[in-house]
Amino acid sequence: MKESVASTAVFILLLFLNTSLLNGQSPPGKPEIFKCRSPEKETFTCWWKPGEDGGLPTNYTLMYHKEGETITHECPDYITSGPNSCYFNKKHTSIWTMYIITINATNQMGSSSSDPRYVDVTYIVEPDPPVNLTLELKQPEDKKPYLWMKWYPPTLVDVRSGWLTLQYEIRLKPEKATEWETHFAGQQTQFKILSLYPGQKYLVQVRCKPDHGFWSEWSPESSIQIPNDVTMKDTIVWIFVAVLSAVICLIMVAAVALKVHSMVTCILPPVPGPKIKGFDAHLLEKGKSEELLSALGCQDFPPTSDCEDLLVEFLEVDDSEDQQLMPAHSKHPDQDMKPTPLDPDSDSGRGSCDSPSLLSKKCEEARANPSTCNIPEGIEKPENPQTKVTCTWDAQSTRLEGKIPYFPADGSKSSTWPLPQPPSQHSPRSSYHNIADVCKLAVGTAGASAALLGKTDTHALRSAKTTETGGEEKAAEQREVESFHSKTDQGTAWLLPLEKTPLISVKPLDYVEIHKVNKDGALSLLPKHKENSNQPEKPSPPEASKEYAKVSRVMDNNILVLVQDPRAQNLTALEEPAKEAPPSLQENPAEEDLASFTSAPSSCGLQLGGLDYLDPTCFMHSFQ
Amino acid sequence: MDNKGWSLKGSLLPLLLLVSELLLGQSVASLPICPTGAVNCQVSLRDLFDRAVILSHYIHNLSSEMFNEFDKRYAQGRGFITKAINSCHTSSLSTPEDKEQAQQIHHEDLLNLILRVLRSWNDPLYHLVTEVRGMQEAPDSILSRAIEIEEQNRRLLEGMEKIVGQVHPGVKENEVYSVWSGLPSLQMADEDTRLFAFYNLLHCLRRDSHKIDNYLKLLKCRIVYDSNC
Repeated sequence: MKESVASTAVFILLLFLNTSLLNGQSPPGKPEIFKCRSPEKETFTCWWKPGEDGGLPTNYTLMYHKEGETITHECPDYITSGPNSCYFNKKHTSIWTMYIITINATNQMGSSSSDPRYVDVTYIVEPDPPVNLTLELKQPEDKKPYLWMKWYPPTLVDVRSGWLTLQYEIRLKPEKATEWETHFAGQQTQFKILSLYPGQKYLVQVRCKPDHGFWSEWSPESSIQIPNDVTMKDTIVWIFVAVLSAVICLIMVAAVALKVHSMVTCILPPVPGPKIKGFDAHLLEKGKSEELLSALGCQDFPPTSDCEDLLVEFLEVDDSEDQQLMPAHSKHPDQDMKPTPLDPDSDSGRGSCDSPSLLSKKCEEARANPSTCNIPEGIEKPENPQTKVTCTWDAQSTRLEGKIPYFPADGSKSSTWPLPQPPSQHSPRSSYHNIADVCKLAVGTAGASAALLGKTDTHALRSAKTTETGGEEKAAEQREVESFHSKTDQGTAWLLPLEKTPLISVKPLDYVEIHKVNKDGALSLLPKHKENSNQPEKPSPPEASKEYAKVSRVMDNNILVLVQDPRAQNLTALEEPAKEAPPSLQENPAEEDLASFTSAPSSCGLQLGGLDYLDPTCFMHSFQ
Repeated sequence: MDNKGWSLKGSLLPLLLLVSELLLGQSVASLPICPTGAVNCQVSLRDLFDRAVILSHYIHNLSSEMFNEFDKRYAQGRGFITKAINSCHTSSLSTPEDKEQAQQIHHEDLLNLILRVLRSWNDPLYHLVTEVRGMQEAPDSILSRAIEIEEQNRRLLEGMEKIVGQVHPGVKENEVYSVWSGLPSLQMADEDTRLFAFYNLLHCLRRDSHKIDNYLKLLKCRIVYDSNC
């Protein structure tokens, strides 16, 4: 019987245990006191954390005993401080006394106790935050406004008796800033902030700490709006200034609008054309080059003094191959002049375009230049009368410009140079080409001279330079020469020195008359003595009426620069008779014609020998 | 945190000394200097209390830091706290245990109590310094603080005697104090025992310095500011 009872009891117990195990129930876990705190050093509270409850309702109790006592007490107040807490009121709180506190958790299955916690209220003081934080913006006269804040200690703390001594700390920031600005305020309950950003809304907080305890939490935020610096008075002033400025701007805009044109002219003045001071274009048209030049102030240009030195004193006609081409009296050697042996070629002139030395010099460059220059070939092949001088203008002019010195105004003498040999009847000599070339040279030099005199011709020269074909060239040259002549003191200026140079005739000179200029721009020069024979050859007025009837100047290479006479066309009729008739003095220097060249009396005689030269004296006469 | 506290106090120590010297000097400058033994010295009670409070506050800070450092360094896991119950030699002195009791006691009695406590600590502090010096690997911070506390305690005692002389002159109390008998424990060969002796001494010092500080602040507010701090 007892055995059955015992076994039954065991069975029931086992069943009970199994049931509980199957249900998952267990004694409670161990609780833990995690915080004890006193807000004013007069009361304190402890909170615990329960362990697992084991699935069953668990009862927690707090048991404590004090230092020096043996009695264990239970928590007097489980409610005031919330769940899982124990509140010790003033009666139950002793300072400078150790409390040993334990939590007991009990449930149906069992119970458990926490570890004892040793608590001394002296060292767990953590007050509440200060209260009644007020902010005020104070604006004393003549001083910057400042923020004044005041607060009160937490209500529970007894500061008046000195039981607790609090120290405060405030922090503030503009509403949208991220970091706080913290200030320690000591034991005072008010504070001043001086550096404020106007127009911002500030947030302020305060907290406190007992003399030997922990900091409280921050008080709730108080905010204040800082007004802007700009007062109404300032605003009015600024509005006034703005309106005034607007009015002034409008006035200025209106004034500018009315006078836009004149202002534009003032700011961007029209680009003036090239002008020469004292230059009168009308004079050019009239051909009064002297007046023009005097107006320009070119007293000495072209040089009128020392003309004697500049005169070509004589033309040497010498078929001797050994003779120098340079006149003995030439005062200063020209740069490009070289004493060269005469070319055995009968056609070779001396010191002229036909001169092999000079020619070769020139034509070497011409050869170098891909532009064709038939001068040397012309020389070599006198039977090729129609050889064109097709040197490109540019090539020739640039070269020759360098070669041909400017007509010096300082009294250097230009040396005579023999003209190219007059052609046989049948064949216009290549020398013609040379003359043409020389004329080109002349124009080129004319261009260079024009540069000296003025720039107004450059455009003409340039236009001339661009032409390629002979005809165009001639026309351009003609124009150029015209312009050159018109604008410069042409034959007169050039030839004035010639007038004064005494003739040093070494040899009788022969006359050369420019018979015609063929379509290629070649001058046909006829010796005077052959005049008769050339009668039949007298051309009808050349079709192109481009005759080089003028000596524009004498180059110191012994090159006589012949230029076309713009009025040659009209004077073709005159030419022929002029050739036959004794030279009539041409009053108008612009109306040079062939006759003038050939009208020279015996003084203009040329030495026979195949080399015909123009006597500069002829020019003198003609231009006097 | 403790290290920070200790190092902070280490730097604060000379500063606070300077401040206290300046304060004392200042009050002396503003008022006639009281030669020792003079009876009718006119340093104001307010200044005396201010100085006393500064000293007591300072002493407690030092004591607290010292204890924390010792606890962290030597007493971890030894369960000293369980044994340091009711083991202070000054517990025999009936001191008020809460605010009401402290406010009910008369200020003269309170002053005397303060004096007793201060006197009770003269001897232990002296031996503390000696024994900490002899300690193996004694940290410099603990030693320096011990030295400082001992000196300040002496000065506070002098100040308190002056205050007492002003508050209720003429009554010369017998110098009652608690005797400390913990010296043999400090000199024990057993490290555990010895360390516990130190721990206990520092624990009691921290508590008593807090008591003195608290009582003095109460007295100051009551006497000088008429309970309206």
